[in-house]
Amino acid sequence: MRPILLSGHERALTQVKYSRDGDIIFSVSKDHVICAWFSINGERLGTYHGHQGALWTVDVDPSTTLLASGGADNTIRLWEVKTGRLLKTWDFPTAIKRVEFSPDGRRLLGVTEKRMGYLGTIVVFDIILEVDADQTNEPSLRIECTESKATVAGFSYVGKYIIAGHEDGTVSQYDAKTAEQYLNLTVHEPDIPITDLQWSADRTYFITASKDKTAKLVSAVDLEVLKTYVTDTPLNSAAITPVKDFVILGGGQAAMDVTTTSARQGKFEARFYHKIFEEEIGRVRGHFGPLNYVAVHPEGTGYCSGGEDGYVRVHHFDKAYFDFLYEVEREQAKI
Amino acid sequence: EDLAKKNTATRAVVEHRRRLLEEWNAWRQRVMEDLEDEGVDPEDLRGPQDGKEGEEPEEGQVVE
Repeated sequence: MRPILLSGHERALTQVKYSRDGDIIFSVSKDHVICAWFSINGERLGTYHGHQGALWTVDVDPSTTLLASGGADNTIRLWEVKTGRLLKTWDFPTAIKRVEFSPDGRRLLGVTEKRMGYLGTIVVFDIILEVDADQTNEPSLRIECTESKATVAGFSYVGKYIIAGHEDGTVSQYDAKTAEQYLNLTVHEPDIPITDLQWSADRTYFITASKDKTAKLVSAVDLEVLKTYVTDTPLNSAAITPVKDFVILGGGQAAMDVTTTSARQGKFEARFYHKIFEEEIGRVRGHFGPLNYVAVHPEGTGYCSGGEDGYVRVHHFDKAYFDFLYEVEREQAKI
Repeated sequence: EDLAKKNTATRAVVEHRRRLLEEWNAWRQRVMEDLEDEGVDPEDLRGPQDGKEGEEPEEGQVVE
């Protein structure tokens, strides 16, 4: 499983995302620039310039037409994927920590930062999936996070709920049409922030990562915690793999960053756990700093990680990965 | 005797995993049924242009 190293960013990576068919990887970094790469060979396809501050988040709609990004310059921006043309800028009083399209691409949510005088919010814009369309100025929905600011959020199956992870370790479920809050449950250690929330392929369940050193698999229907993955390091990201029943966790403590500039490989690892058995299966090391984000190819053929070290590492899974089965899984496969 | 002990331990682990797998499959089935009762078409759970779920990865994409 030899990785492809994507070097081009000048500062820490903050998020990496695959397009729906997995052939393009979008990456954002504190260096203000969005990059697009071919996942198969790591060739850089292009860059998107315009943001005036560190970027925290990026997402692409399911038809790979529109790209959304947000960051420390208090804007959400919409781009034409193909040309890099800036199509729309929405201004906010505070930074944007997360953007995500709905499963059909027709809504875009943004998580805004809390700051003195401003509550953290989740905003939703209705999107027209055409590059020359006149996009709306005003959000169609706005959720104020009065208890604890949201750090991450996304749309559940068929866009029914908005699910958010919060700074205080809770997860909430909102009606994606009315903004009514149905549930708010403490899923992680109280007052330890949730750092990531990623979906299963059908968005009926999701995985959260936390600085409390665990990741949790949670039902989108009732927020029941289905599985817990225990590690020995604060986590920044967690992803669910299709095809195989695995999850991939990324994190690490910057303090353990010993000088390794002479080494070919860093010590920071992506950790693989069995999704159902909650057991650690293996680790992939390589980064020279904490893994800030891990993303899985939508067809389960590989994954990529964005590091504090400024690199994206792309891995294509080998045959042994797909062949690996527990005895009880083999039994079941025969039935 | 040690071997017998080890076998018992292994069997316990396997039994545990078998139970976890059964629980998981039961949960998945229950959720899918509940969603159908809610009026959600299972086809809608897959996003647009996503017709490839469950397909085996191509041999040509394997590296090393």
